[in-house]
Amino acid sequence: MPAKRHAASTNTSAAVPVTPATLSSGPTTLKTNASAVAIAQNVWEQYVATTPQRTLLLDAFMAFLVLVGGLQFLYCVLAGNYPFNAFLSGFSAAVGQFVLTASLRMQTSDSGSTLSSKPSSKGKNARFANEDNEGQGSGISHERAFADYIFGSLILHFFCVNFIN
Amino acid sequence: MRWCLALLLCGFLAAVNALSSSGSRLLVVLDESTDQSAYSTLWSDLKGRGYDVSFESPKSDKLSLFKHGARAYDHLLILPPKSKGLGPSLTPKNILDFLNKDGNILLALSGRAATSSAISSLLLEVDIQLSNDRSSVVVDHFNYDTVSSAEKHDVLLLQRPGPLRPDVKAFFNGEGVVALPRVAPQTLGSESNLVSPILRAPATAYAYNPKEEMPAPEDIEATGSQLNIVSAMQARNSARFTVLGSVEALEDQWFSASVQAPGGKKTTTVNREFAKQLTAWAFKETGVLKVEKIEHHLATDGEVAPENLNPKIYRIKNETVFNIEVSEYSYDKWVPFEVPGNDELQLEFTMLSPFHRLALKPVGRTETSTIYSTKFTTPDQHGIFSFRINYKRPFFTNIEEKHEVTVRHFAHDEYPRSWDISAGWVWIAGLWSVIGGFLAFVLVWLYSAPATDKLKKTQ
Repeated sequence: MPAKRHAASTNTSAAVPVTPATLSSGPTTLKTNASAVAIAQNVWEQYVATTPQRTLLLDAFMAFLVLVGGLQFLYCVLAGNYPFNAFLSGFSAAVGQFVLTASLRMQTSDSGSTLSSKPSSKGKNARFANEDNEGQGSGISHERAFADYIFGSLILHFFCVNFIN
Repeated sequence: MRWCLALLLCGFLAAVNALSSSGSRLLVVLDESTDQSAYSTLWSDLKGRGYDVSFESPKSDKLSLFKHGARAYDHLLILPPKSKGLGPSLTPKNILDFLNKDGNILLALSGRAATSSAISSLLLEVDIQLSNDRSSVVVDHFNYDTVSSAEKHDVLLLQRPGPLRPDVKAFFNGEGVVALPRVAPQTLGSESNLVSPILRAPATAYAYNPKEEMPAPEDIEATGSQLNIVSAMQARNSARFTVLGSVEALEDQWFSASVQAPGGKKTTTVNREFAKQLTAWAFKETGVLKVEKIEHHLATDGEVAPENLNPKIYRIKNETVFNIEVSEYSYDKWVPFEVPGNDELQLEFTMLSPFHRLALKPVGRTETSTIYSTKFTTPDQHGIFSFRINYKRPFFTNIEEKHEVTVRHFAHDEYPRSWDISAGWVWIAGLWSVIGGFLAFVLVWLYSAPATDKLKKTQ
């Protein structure tokens, strides 16, 4: 399963079941006077076809977090903020997790799509990038980024659970 | 050392035997020319109540209110002197010093002669005024004694006074009439709340100087019940200063005189009882309050362990119980204190300003005291608070109590747990769904990882 998506992202394009028009090289098949719906559909198809599987997973999780955070905020607006610490804790857990996940996405998704990009220097972890013998091409290895992400998330969860009492 | 202890013991015994709550040494200041035997019943009554009466002339060299800087006497009874002043040892300043050192004073005036300016200036210090010419007499054409003053109408026959206000205890009430011959009237200053009238002249009375013409209407300062026959000032230290307008009312001949009001029947006066009530109040035999015990603790069912009594620290929103035992001295013993009328004893829980002002209700009584109690929840504000009782009423000694306690906020583990508050369930669910989502995401991520790496390597 993952192999299929990976194949799409690395421009091999032979095993892609969708129409050959939707290659990752660009929306060449879209006409200049296409309707807005067609453009949106094209963008979506491009996104689904060209995004690596892990980035898709990240995006799904972030959408879930936006949903959870939005629902909590809506409930606070409608029903009042009585145990205010519970609201702060629940809402900031969603927001914080979203921020952490977005960071993880920034650190992992660039090397997946563009191998030729020069080493970025994001954050202070950039100088450790060369220590990874894998040499992902990005500033930081995926494993390192993921470990940081888990570490940050655990701290966030600890604080939120403690604060909600 | 031993004799020192013995002396101390003797001192304690004397204090125990004394009938007044504040000592038994009474100094009577009267002129040599005044007939001491005219008041013999009063002296024997006072001695019978346990007073150690000594007599001095105001001109005497030995007379001193203080000895080694302390009071030489506990109480002072001043009869009006014939001479101009009270002498060098009874200047207004000395007398006020005596008052400041918790000495009680009963000052008798007389309308027979002009009151001396020394006494007048002393009275001004405590916000009691005499008439301008200082030689007026109260006259009443409706309440006079037809037997002794059929012409001059200057012997007043009055009922003993009831309570000053509905919420003030009556210390001087009772049956019978009091004869008050030749009263020097006093008026009370309106600015001081320490002075209060004990006996007012009736509405039909007026002040009149027999040696002068009737004054013009604009010169009259006070008439009727504005004139006081007996007035009192209780200082902030609860020392008492009492002024009796008519010294003759204390004489033997008026203690059981036969009098007749106009249109009334012949009766005997109750001056003796009134003199007893008056001297008893003036010398702190009545109207003395004492706080026996103060207890506060957390509200619990059943008995409170002694180690939990009067804690130094409370928490906000604690249910707290406050108890105070109050006794009242009545002639020779302590009795349970009852709040008079619709008055109430109040507790304040203050930090700068009162957060609670609560009525204390009587919940029980011991042999000598009443237990007043109240229960309240400490306010939602932490800081240094104090339990305060501030009970200042006419004719009662002041109760001023202040007990500091700390009120702390909730400790970290004293808040209710999150799931106890159903309103927070949505956010708890939100938090745990974020955590659950995170775990699921991590698992899926780890599952998808090796394939990516392998493919990368194969490239």
